[in-house]
Amino acid sequence: MAKASEKVSKGEKFPLAKRFQVADIQASKEATAVKPEVVAKMVKRAKNPVLVTGKYLLKEPKLVEVAVKFYGKGIPIIATGGSSKPLIENGVKPQSVVFSLHQITQYMLDPEWKGFNGQPYDLVLYLGFTPYYLSRMLSALKHFSKLTTIAIDEFYHPHAKFSFTNLTKDKELHYAMLEKVLEGI
Amino acid sequence: MVFELKEGIFVLDDLRNVSIKIGKVIEEEEEWTEPVGPTPKPGILDLRNWDHKLLERYEPFYGPVQDFCNLCTMGPCDLSMNKKGACGIDLRTSKARLVAIACCIGAAAHTAHARHLLNHIIEEYGEDLPIDLGSNINVEAPNIRLICGIKPKTIGDLREALDWAESEIVKVLHSTHIGNEESYIDYESKAMHVGMVDHVGMEVADIAQMVAYNLPKAEPDTPLVDTGFGIVDRTKPVIIVVGHNVMYARPVADYLEEKGLIDQFELAGLCCTAHDMVRYNSKAKIFGPIYYQLRVIRAGLPDIVISDEQCIRSDLLEACKAMGIPLIATSDAACRGLPNRNNDPVEEIIKDILSGKTPGVFLDDGEKIAEVAIKVAQEIFKRKQKGELFLTEDELKEEVKKCTQCMSCVFTCPHNLRIDQGMAAGKKGDYSKLAALEEVCIACGKCEQTCPKSIRIINVIMKTGYQSLISKTGKTRVGRGMVQDTEIRNVGQPIVFGQIPGVIAAVGCINYPDVMQDIRDILEEFLKRRYIVVTSGCHAMDIGMLKDEEGQTLYEKYPGNFDAGGLVNTGSCVSNAHIAGAVIKIANIFAMRSLRGNYAEIADYTLNRVGAVGFSWGPYSHKAASIATGFNRLGVPVVVGPHGTKYRRAYIGKFWKPEKWWVYDIKSRQKVSIEPAPDILIAAVETKEEAIVQLARLCLRPNDTSQGRQIKLTHYLELSQNYLGALPDDWPIYVRSEADLPLKMKDTLLKVLEEEHGWKIDWSKKKILEGPIRQFDAGFNPTIIEEVYDKYTKK
Repeated sequence: MAKASEKVSKGEKFPLAKRFQVADIQASKEATAVKPEVVAKMVKRAKNPVLVTGKYLLKEPKLVEVAVKFYGKGIPIIATGGSSKPLIENGVKPQSVVFSLHQITQYMLDPEWKGFNGQPYDLVLYLGFTPYYLSRMLSALKHFSKLTTIAIDEFYHPHAKFSFTNLTKDKELHYAMLEKVLEGI
Repeated sequence: MVFELKEGIFVLDDLRNVSIKIGKVIEEEEEWTEPVGPTPKPGILDLRNWDHKLLERYEPFYGPVQDFCNLCTMGPCDLSMNKKGACGIDLRTSKARLVAIACCIGAAAHTAHARHLLNHIIEEYGEDLPIDLGSNINVEAPNIRLICGIKPKTIGDLREALDWAESEIVKVLHSTHIGNEESYIDYESKAMHVGMVDHVGMEVADIAQMVAYNLPKAEPDTPLVDTGFGIVDRTKPVIIVVGHNVMYARPVADYLEEKGLIDQFELAGLCCTAHDMVRYNSKAKIFGPIYYQLRVIRAGLPDIVISDEQCIRSDLLEACKAMGIPLIATSDAACRGLPNRNNDPVEEIIKDILSGKTPGVFLDDGEKIAEVAIKVAQEIFKRKQKGELFLTEDELKEEVKKCTQCMSCVFTCPHNLRIDQGMAAGKKGDYSKLAALEEVCIACGKCEQTCPKSIRIINVIMKTGYQSLISKTGKTRVGRGMVQDTEIRNVGQPIVFGQIPGVIAAVGCINYPDVMQDIRDILEEFLKRRYIVVTSGCHAMDIGMLKDEEGQTLYEKYPGNFDAGGLVNTGSCVSNAHIAGAVIKIANIFAMRSLRGNYAEIADYTLNRVGAVGFSWGPYSHKAASIATGFNRLGVPVVVGPHGTKYRRAYIGKFWKPEKWWVYDIKSRQKVSIEPAPDILIAAVETKEEAIVQLARLCLRPNDTSQGRQIKLTHYLELSQNYLGALPDDWPIYVRSEADLPLKMKDTLLKVLEEEHGWKIDWSKKKILEGPIRQFDAGFNPTIIEEVYDKYTKK
């Protein structure tokens, strides 16, 4: 868990943790908005972290570049939504390519699942997803599992355990934060 | 004295002063040799075991939109982390209840529609109107036969099915009251029950209108009609009908025909009324689905709008008023606050509308609707200024200039469209970014509600994207209704054995995750690969707008027959029943399985043998929820676009739990482990690429022959390589023997099986010796129902 001092606070350079959709989520327990350094620390501490990638890797080459770097740092990738194609072209061997995020989430909700590599995941990073779609998955995991979920997309995701703030206005800042995470791993 | 005579033959002699009231005369039954199955007119409990079997394998998934429940006054309650509320319900069960409620709404919409139509049709044509669907249709009502155990011969006979359907919807709705069901699995069973009921309601509605209104009766080559934004000739008065019930659009078409005016007017429709209107009169046209409502009205194209029911914008009257377009509401489901003028003379109604005394009226008298609509449209047309659509150039500049880049619109938009970026570029004179939004915008108008500067954002998008909008104009092949029995005879075996790789049923709404073009691309991929593609509703009209480089829509490129490479448009929402009907007929006509009240056996047959997959790329409505859930109970998996996750629930199996994947094999009399095919009953995908691969994957069935499995795997593997960049992770689990492997890739795949999965291969014969979950057996006869196993093993 992030300590209070590691959370994004007022006065820092990060934009507000504004929801990606004002009406989409009515949550009693919202994600802790975190700085990239904190994300890096959590990933380093995790026993079996995994990065799950989605649609926007087909639209934003920078996200592919970031995912490849995560892979290079030893973080395995579960590729969904066709994001496997650019990743494979860039030398990544995803743990799976055909299962959708919906399926993956259903598997992760089951404490008996050993993951694609034989041991249960304890921390899941999400990159490149349609926000309303990812939101339902994070909600399921929040309510019905103990998994640590971290949304590192440009949207603040209240249902995640940890999330970047809302970076929609400043894509360059989002990319810089992703690089910062990578630097810390 | 009152006494009741039971069914039978009675002789009455020498009676005096006796009044005899005859209820229903039951004629000597025409021979229906099918035995009555175990569940005619099933109640909630009758198919519960089947549901529980499905739900044991396809476990419900819940992704709540909100953590709270506020349905009663003991709350609101915080149910987060699966806590219980004041009534004792936990989060999971409360979400299952919500799904059951959504399915009740959907089923009620179709069933009330059916009742409305049926009552009018019986009033107009009499209850003895025979159900005559032509010489190619013997199984006239497969859903009703299967579910209710009734073989309707006349329109009046449909009432019995509808009576049952209405009563079941009420029973399920009752179960959602506070303090009832405690088990989320049982709520899912109820959702499945009411989803199944929905298919009966839809079938009643469409059979009734096909018979009474003489709509096409399963002919594959129905006419092609104009579809899209650019269909109307603006030099003529334009009458637009909106909604899902053709009952009041029909008199308008009749009146125009009778008066010889049909060519002097434009009669066009939005949503499923459009589908049914062109089935009735192919001179009418289709504008598009719900997201075209504000496009068409804001453009000022209609001279009058006639609304009926279901997917109509709730602010339709306000939108029409803003453009000076009168509205006639015709359905008691959507009176829109308008005065009921049924008892007033036509001239008085027209005068009040044209003087502006009332923005519209409520009428449900067909003849009056027609006369008022036509006369008002003529006059409004004369008065209308023929200016630029949406905005003038100056107005556009003024609107764009108002934007403060607050981004409220972005965080309200269901797709988070970057309206802010479009406005910023627009201020500099570059409208390309705004224009590009037309492709994705569903014109819901939420952005305008939140904009602090009241910018007419939809008008800005449509004005700048006008070329894209107007270019979406093409042809739709008119809905044909059901599939012929003769077609089923031809394709039943190749579907069940797998030589026709699958049936893709593209059904549902328009809340697409991306550009509309994707729906065409997805369906064409399967048409080219000679799957059977069936469509209805919004998907069916959207593909009628999208042309290729040669200017052809899919309807112009592919034939309308139910065969490999065919594209079948069944028609409107209620025509979805015929897609379920085609699946049911495969079990009946090809496999000779009895239908009469024999639901579970047929659903079990479908699940294990019929490679049909539902596909709803942009679901939003409650009707889509109930239709899909009804398909699921019938054993048909459904893939939805990402918005489908907002239904909160999915049914997803776990391939990695071998104990979940078994059948009883009637031939070997053994319980057999099987491959997880299909491993989903309903789940969402995020992209076009993922949709294509999942659809091919979900066509696999345990009963596939080697040739069939080889064909299905060939498509699955090729599509995965094309769209995902690699072979799918799970392909080995679908291999039963070397004969299942795609021919072109056989050596490579055998090598992968040996090296990466440890299978034993005899390379001299290129034969798999060890590895598969099970061997292929030509006589394999799978079921997951004990009673079906007993039925066929104890013969």
